[in-house]
Amino acid sequence: MIKVKNLCHVFLAMAAIVAMPAQANQLEEIKKKGELVCGTLGTSQPFSFQDTKTRQVVGYDVDFCKLIADGLGVKVNYKLLSVAARIPELSEGRVDIVAANLGYSEDRAKQIDFSHMYYITPQKLLVRADSGLKTLEQLDGLRIGATRGSSSEREIKKYLPKSDVIGYADSSAAYLALQQKKVSAQFASELALVRLMLQSPESSPLEIMEKSVFDEPWGLGIRKGEEELLQAVNKILDDAEASGEAARIFEKWFGQDTQYKIKRSFTIQPLGN
Amino acid sequence: MFLLEPEQWLRLLDGMWVTLQLFAVSWLIAFTVALTLTVIRATNVAPARWFVDAYVEYHRNVPLLVQILFWYFGMPELLPEGFRGWLYQHNAELSLAAIGLGLGSASYVSEDMRSGLRAIPMTQFEASRALGASYLQSMRHIIVPQALRLAIPPLVSRALLLFKNTSLAMAIGVADLTYQTRELENETYRTFATFGAATILYLLGSFLIMFLGSRIYRHYQLKGGARA
Repeated sequence: MIKVKNLCHVFLAMAAIVAMPAQANQLEEIKKKGELVCGTLGTSQPFSFQDTKTRQVVGYDVDFCKLIADGLGVKVNYKLLSVAARIPELSEGRVDIVAANLGYSEDRAKQIDFSHMYYITPQKLLVRADSGLKTLEQLDGLRIGATRGSSSEREIKKYLPKSDVIGYADSSAAYLALQQKKVSAQFASELALVRLMLQSPESSPLEIMEKSVFDEPWGLGIRKGEEELLQAVNKILDDAEASGEAARIFEKWFGQDTQYKIKRSFTIQPLGN
Repeated sequence: MFLLEPEQWLRLLDGMWVTLQLFAVSWLIAFTVALTLTVIRATNVAPARWFVDAYVEYHRNVPLLVQILFWYFGMPELLPEGFRGWLYQHNAELSLAAIGLGLGSASYVSEDMRSGLRAIPMTQFEASRALGASYLQSMRHIIVPQALRLAIPPLVSRALLLFKNTSLAMAIGVADLTYQTRELENETYRTFATFGAATILYLLGSFLIMFLGSRIYRHYQLKGGARA
């Protein structure tokens, strides 16, 4: 019986964590502390990763954390999060805001509030150049490799209902599966695919299908019910769009001077509806 | 509904079904291979012993995840092209993961069986040979049945470990319980609810294995006389 009792305690503790009431006003708290705790992934180039020279965390997400902190007039404190931990950390209040590949969907918006969109990632397909595959329709019924966590299996299933989608641990495993003909195409964000295409050997070239399957907009994550903080963050984002600061950050990480050479095809705007 | 919506529970149950299949097949492989290894080793012929030692040390010292990745990404490259294509069209992920997990666990299982074997006095073996039984007959009828009985408790805990290790297979895209949990978490961001539900399912699976283990233990327990 001791065991059962202990289990009960654990569950009670978990329930208490989940049910912990939100602080009255997080915006005031942040200003009082003089510090914005911003969660990023730390392992996701070029959004949040360690600069090998300075050993500092840098990237597109990191710059947006800084932008928000500057706008609020406080210091920024970065906290690295794993993919699975980012939502619990936010809802428990250990971080104030999360900039960590948070793709918007209605289901997700039930758990956290999304700021305005600050990035949009086209989800595309990578195929072997000699495969002769050119359109999405040709792929229906073939096996598709994807990366777990980045873009959901269910999403691509909507477009390729007859295909088997295999979710690998990371994009390099999916890439290997593509090269070994275990799958006919790899589904991932354009950025990841560009990197893989550039790295692939000349003897087995790859191609990215021009048309994106769908576009996933990202927002910054804020705990539910923190209206004032949300308004403040959205205002800072809108101002950065108007002043050109947002475009400058984009250019810094994705523009002509980088390996991606991507044109900014979006502007910061409200998410949903 | 409790923790999750009904259709979300169904998705996790889909994953649970894959986990159970993977566990059953890899356990069968592990048990068969381990039993063979144990009997080979017990011959005490030097090359046979070296072979088993090498097998056990390789599989115990190389991380299980690496072994699974080898079976999925490395081994099929050695197969003829036609067979490989056929394999990929027929759920290669699940079967290759089962092979990797099974062979990897076999090393541990065989060590557990060996510890059972060592508990049986050598004099029994000598007596059985003196009565005219061959090596295999002595093993089959005298030694192994007793050794396996003794090895049941460690084998049950090994089975529990293997059950949980099946989640490694998600690295190569096997849609097991952990895979479905992560997907669901990623879609809904309901971290506590999804991982809580998965924990309950894993616990149920573990309890089932423990229950079966204790039933098997009691069923085969030797009645009367001194207990070995």
